[in-house]
Amino acid sequence: MRSSGITGIIKKSPFGPIQAHMKVSKESVDELINFLQFAIDLNWDEVVQSRKLISDLENQADTLKAETRGLLSKSIFLAVPREDILDLIKLADDIPNTVKDISGLMIGRQMEIPSQIAPSFLLFAKEAAAITDAAAEAVDYIDELFQFSFGGNAAIKMQQLIEKLDSLENKNDNSEITLRAELFAIEKDFPPINIVFLYDIINKIGELSDRAEQVGHRISLIASR
Amino acid sequence: MEVIILYGPYLLISGCVFGFFMAWGIGANDVANAMGTSVGAKALTLSQAILVACIFEFAGAYLAGGEVTSTIRKGIIDPVLLADSPDLLVFGMMASLLAAGTWLLIASFNGWPVSTTHSIVGAIVGFAAVGISIDSVSWSKVGSIVSSWVVSPLVAGTLSFLIFRSVETLILNTNNPFDNAKKYVPGYMFLVGFVLSMVTLVKGLKHVGLSLNFQESLTYSLMIGVGIAFVGSLFLRRVKNIHQQKGDVVFDGVERVFAVLMVFTACAMAFAHGSNDVANAVGPLAAIVSVVQSGGEIASKSIMPWWILLLGGVGIVAGLATLGYKVIETVGRNITELTPSRGFAAELAAATTVVLASGIGLPISTTHTLVGAVLGVGLARGLSAIDLGVVGKIIVSWMVTLPVGAGLSILFFFSLKGIFS
Repeated sequence: MRSSGITGIIKKSPFGPIQAHMKVSKESVDELINFLQFAIDLNWDEVVQSRKLISDLENQADTLKAETRGLLSKSIFLAVPREDILDLIKLADDIPNTVKDISGLMIGRQMEIPSQIAPSFLLFAKEAAAITDAAAEAVDYIDELFQFSFGGNAAIKMQQLIEKLDSLENKNDNSEITLRAELFAIEKDFPPINIVFLYDIINKIGELSDRAEQVGHRISLIASR
Repeated sequence: MEVIILYGPYLLISGCVFGFFMAWGIGANDVANAMGTSVGAKALTLSQAILVACIFEFAGAYLAGGEVTSTIRKGIIDPVLLADSPDLLVFGMMASLLAAGTWLLIASFNGWPVSTTHSIVGAIVGFAAVGISIDSVSWSKVGSIVSSWVVSPLVAGTLSFLIFRSVETLILNTNNPFDNAKKYVPGYMFLVGFVLSMVTLVKGLKHVGLSLNFQESLTYSLMIGVGIAFVGSLFLRRVKNIHQQKGDVVFDGVERVFAVLMVFTACAMAFAHGSNDVANAVGPLAAIVSVVQSGGEIASKSIMPWWILLLGGVGIVAGLATLGYKVIETVGRNITELTPSRGFAAELAAATTVVLASGIGLPISTTHTLVGAVLGVGLARGLSAIDLGVVGKIIVSWMVTLPVGAGLSILFFFSLKGIFS
């Protein structure tokens, strides 16, 4: 058949792969919770299994990132600025990468989480997962928003999603302070190098929440154009 | 002159065969672009689209196809200059049909987005300018046709931009899009009915025994518009505000209102397409028929036999029924991004532009007009991503089509001339 101009000019929305990417990020942060739980339980077989899963998810995320960039060639006219989408995918891609870093570091150094801080530690990580969830929800909502031309009730709903994200992030900051205080209280009982790396892991989990929050803010920025 | 009398019936029959074949090709290929948007947006199922296309393509071709047909038949070449050699006109028109048909076939195999209209106009200009004489081409008319190819996508794009912006302001960006959609969509339905009937009635339906003046046309068009809006609002009553999934497309209540509207714009699109594109097939045929039937006279005043548009309409429907449905399906599958609220804006803008061109007698490319309209929606940020590179390809392909169509028809023209003399 003759290729029709119509099918040629309408391209797939770049948000499709970004949404898929965000779903993968969400899964990888959820897997990180399992990973940490196994590490706390000193269940090293499961830890290694979990690490493999995280690594697979990170690969999937990379494929989706490449797919998104593939949809953004210079000849494509986009409803939202190209730079915003590139920034968004860059921010979002930090999430599975950081998860992979955390799991890699912990496996490499056979890190153990002291039982005194385990509950706070897990809570802190779970909150980071909740923030990623909220960010993924906002990214999913872009379709709806686009359908209504970024206005009306859809825009209000997006605003609410972002407010929820911010309040989760606030809570998470407080948990981080608690966790650090608990670790500080017991740090002299452990080898200093181990403690330094535990602080590093806490930083990285904090980074996860930050990235997820930034993703949410970027998407709301795109939405408000 | 003797050639016409000697071979008249054969020339007539082969002209009919070529013309029918072209109409078949238009039905098989070109209709897909007009209907595919509705199928892609899930406003119509495939079988509904075929039904709509059959009825409205035929109606458009038969009721409103006359003006463009007469342009192709006697607007591009000045028939008076050919009074001494009517056989050349017959050969030329046959060559043009063959050339356009061949080129479209080649393009189809290679997947190039070429236009039937551009092929046939290029072919006619080619044989006349080279085979007969440069002066036999009415260059001012050709100039206005070519400029209409630039203007029509621009007009359609501007219209669709404005239509979509009005949808944003009146419906989408409000606190209650669903209720507002129900309130304003009948207005767009009115526009569809009014524009189509106005253009068709003003241009006259004398060949079906209906003669109206401007005042009457306006009155009837207003009535038809209101009637269509009324019928449409009856359909709209049944639309409830719920989410519903159809294939990959999630249908919000608002989109379902627009889906109803898109049924109407799909009819308009099919009608517009039929009215403009039938001429590509039967215009040259009409020229052949008028020469042969008058036994070699080039009678520019003679009226066109009614059965020519009928033949074109039947040919388009035949193409649709044999192959077109497959192409519509393919096009529809590939443009799911165009939701009803966007698709109707593009279709309404394109249909309006094409019907207006049909009324003025300008042969334009329906596909290019629709591309312009889709771009308009895209520029209004109604589509998340549109490929401007493809637009470039389309422009190149129409630049190429003109000389190629011309070259082929010159070749066929001299071959035919050689065979018969």
